Order: sequence, then C-alpha cells, then structure tokens
Amino acid sequence: MAADDDVVVTHEDIDRAHDRARVSAARLGRGLRARTWLLWLLIGPGILVMLGENDGPSMLSYAATGAKFGIGFFLPFVVLTFGMALVVQEMTVRLGAATHRGHAELIFERFGPFWGWFSMIDLGIGNFLTLITEFIAIRAGLGFFGVPPWAAVLVALAVLFSALLSHRYWTWERVTLAAAAFNLIFIPVALMAHPHWGAVGHAFFTWKPLPGFNRDTVLIILSDIGATVTPWMLFFQQSATVDKGLTTKDIHFGRIDTVLGAGLAAAAALGAIVATAPLFGRMSADNFQAAQFAQALVPLIGRFGAALFALGMVEAGIVAAITISTSSAYAFGEVTQRPHSLNLPMTEGKSFYAVLGLCAVAAAGIVVIPGLPLVFVVLVVNVVAVLAMPPALVFLYLLVNDKEIMEGVPSPGWMNALAAAVVVLLTAAGVLYGVSVVAPNLFAWLGRL
Amino acid sequence: MSEHEHVSLADTSLVLSTLEHDQLVSAKREPIPRRRLRGWQLALVWTLRVYLVFMLAVVFWQAWTAVR
Repeated sequence: MAADDDVVVTHEDIDRAHDRARVSAARLGRGLRARTWLLWLLIGPGILVMLGENDGPSMLSYAATGAKFGIGFFLPFVVLTFGMALVVQEMTVRLGAATHRGHAELIFERFGPFWGWFSMIDLGIGNFLTLITEFIAIRAGLGFFGVPPWAAVLVALAVLFSALLSHRYWTWERVTLAAAAFNLIFIPVALMAHPHWGAVGHAFFTWKPLPGFNRDTVLIILSDIGATVTPWMLFFQQSATVDKGLTTKDIHFGRIDTVLGAGLAAAAALGAIVATAPLFGRMSADNFQAAQFAQALVPLIGRFGAALFALGMVEAGIVAAITISTSSAYAFGEVTQRPHSLNLPMTEGKSFYAVLGLCAVAAAGIVVIPGLPLVFVVLVVNVVAVLAMPPALVFLYLLVNDKEIMEGVPSPGWMNALAAAVVVLLTAAGVLYGVSVVAPNLFAWLGRL
Repeated sequence: MSEHEHVSLADTSLVLSTLEHDQLVSAKREPIPRRRLRGWQLALVWTLRVYLVFMLAVVFWQAWTAVR
C-alpha cells in the first residue's frame, strides 16, 4: 500500500483493529447464531447510556413518582420519555459512525470555540452535579446496610477504577454492562409489591388517573424527563460509538443496541414506580433526599425486597458514576486534542484517565463532607438536565443534517420532525416550570381552567 | 511508519486492513473545516442560550429558597 508509509499507527488503533477484526469475521457467518454473535459484538454504547441514565437521581425520581402519584398517568409518560431518548440517541449513533469524531469535537470544529465552550460549560456543570448525586445515591443505598459514608464512596471508587484496569474499551464495556444489568433488580422488587395488574393495564391504555395540575406535578414531570434525556448521554454515546469503532455498516446494530437499552431501562424505571406505588398516600415524597424509600418499603415488601431496592440504588449510582465521568474525560480530550480512548495505556492517556479519576474523586469527596447542603444538588440536577437539553439538541440536529460530514448517511425527514418535536416538548416543559415558579398565581389560574 | 518501535508489521497490517482511514488516530488529528451558522440558526441558538441562562437562575433561586 503506497499510503502506508504516511500512516502513524498507535496502540489505540491496534486495540480497535482487533475488535473490528472480530466484527469482520462475524459478518462472514450466516444464520441466526452468527447474527446473534455479531449483535453481541456490536451492542454496548446504547445499552450503557440508557441504563447509565437510570442513575441515582433518576431512580429516586421514579420512586418519588410512585410514592406520590401511585399507578396512573406516569407509567405511559415514562415510556414516552424513553421514546424521546431513543430519537435523540439514535442520531448520536449515526453521527459517531459516520464521522468517527466525538460530539464535543464536532461542535468545536464545525461551529467554533465560542459555541464549543458554551456546550462544554453546560456539560461540565451538569456532569459534575450529576456525579455528586450518584455518590449520594450510593451512600444512601449502602447506608441501608449500615455501611458508613466514607466506606460507601470508597467501594464505588474501587469499582470505577477496577473497570479501567484493562485499558481496553471492550473489557471496560463488558464489565460496565455486567454491572448495569443489575439495574433490572427493580423488576423483581416491583413484583414483590404485588401490583394490581388491572390498574397497570388501565394506566397504559388511558393515561389515567391524571395527576392534579400543580407545581408538584410539573416538578415531577420535569424530574422524570430529566431522568431519561440529558446532555451527557449525547456526548457519551457518540464518543463510545467512536471508541468502539462502529462504522456506517454497523448503524443498524447501533439502533438495535439503543432500542434494547431503552427497553431495558424503561422496564427498570417502571419497576421502580410500581415498587413504590404501595407507598402512595402513606409517606411524603416531597424531599427526595430525605425520603428513605427502602426503609419505608420494609413493611410492604419485606426486608429482602427493601434490600434489593437499596442495592438497585447503589448499582444505579455506580454505573452512572462510571459512564458520566467517562463522558467528561472523552469531552475534555476531544476539545483539548489530547488522546482520549479507553484503549489507551496509562502512559499514553494520562490526561484522559486523570480527568476521569479526578471528576469521580472530587464528587465522592464532596459527598462525605459533613454539613454541605447536598439536598440542593439533588433537587436541581434533573431539572437542570431538562433545561440544558434544547440547546444541546439544536447542535445535534444541525450536525446530523450536515451533508458535508454525514456523507451517505442522510437524516430522514420523519426523524428530523421527531427531533424537532422533542425540542419543542422539552422547551415547553421548561417554560411551564418557569411559570410555576415565577408566576404561581397565573399557574394556579391555569390549573383551574 | 508506526509511532512506537514495538508496533509490529503484523499489527500495522491488521490496522490498515481493518480500520477505515478516518478511524485512525492520525487521521482524526486533521481538523474538520468550520461552517457558518445561517441567520435563523444563529437566532435559534442564541434564543435557547438566553432561555437556558434565565431558567437556570430560576431553578437555583427556587432550590436555594427551598433549602433555606
């Protein structure tokens, strides 16, 4: 090959080439078994991002939804929010597979540093606040078993750093996927609550009973949306798609991966709502931080069920801490043009691993400082995510429709229409929330209409 | 040419036969040309930026009041 002399090959390239060689070999196979093997090789970013977003504050939000509103409107509503997540995350798969560049990198290079830094600030603040809440969830979950806060965060950090030890994207992805599978623990917990299946079916078909139109409802709506669609997901899935080495030939499997992830995550989210629905009318869930859901569930589903619920919270926090800190490290590497891959050996990826580790350690450290008003962070984190989504989605929309970089992978009109609808919905939800805070009288009047 | 002396010829060959050119780390160092935002696009991103800043102020004020 004439061009070979000009090519610089790195360890990152070699590791990725080994993964891609297995995919190429699997493509040669025929039949269901070969296709299943190929799917196994190509899944990862979609499931990780969706189960990663079922994080500490998200599961607390679903638990509060069940305890405050019972079974009704919010069951189909949460499924709808996962539909919204599916629409936008599918775009990141196409963008990553077509350009082989991360989201932050593309915004910087196509739109310049001015808009790039705005996006980075949104991502950085959102990620750090969310990371803090992950460690709060881990601390609360392990606290159920009597583990002191300092030990809880050390356990979480140990798991996070263990996943990085191999310096291989593939191994990291499989270890994190295995941890993420525990998110489904909320499904057996829901079954232990002996839900009224007739009421569940009725809620899905009729979206009833409807919640009252008031500030609490708007806050939970925003919180549940923020539990499903957030800016870090866009950055993470695109960067992970690139790091995994997916190409335009793999987009179909990337879609399946994302649909699978959305389905699993929706099942776990619904599980959390159904599990806490028996608390409806029995406890106040106004303060997510103070609501000791696992403790409150003991009389209803037993100590074992409540312990599973607490473990689910711990898992949700740990997996999200891994994916969110990785998302921050990817973005930092992309904008500073430093090496950024989970395939990098420690010596070549010092800044990547340093950012990843520092973010996690700083967030964990804040959680163990006594007396800090952490409830403040828990209250705002999901709402901030919803508010930051429309600006992030506009850049995603512009990039995925950019013919110069998306050669051969056009964005279908119906997909663009759905993405635009998601932006409008999220903005409307944000405005509704703003009105409920700034003009409560006007909001109360609207509720009486 | 390889960046590290211990990258074997077999590895180099595997990389070149398996990865698309744009996937190579060296290719990713090439910048992507800048594009200009059109009038309506610029108006949209600025509007959403103002919306975000205003709404964040609302959120932090509400949360601060609730905590106090």
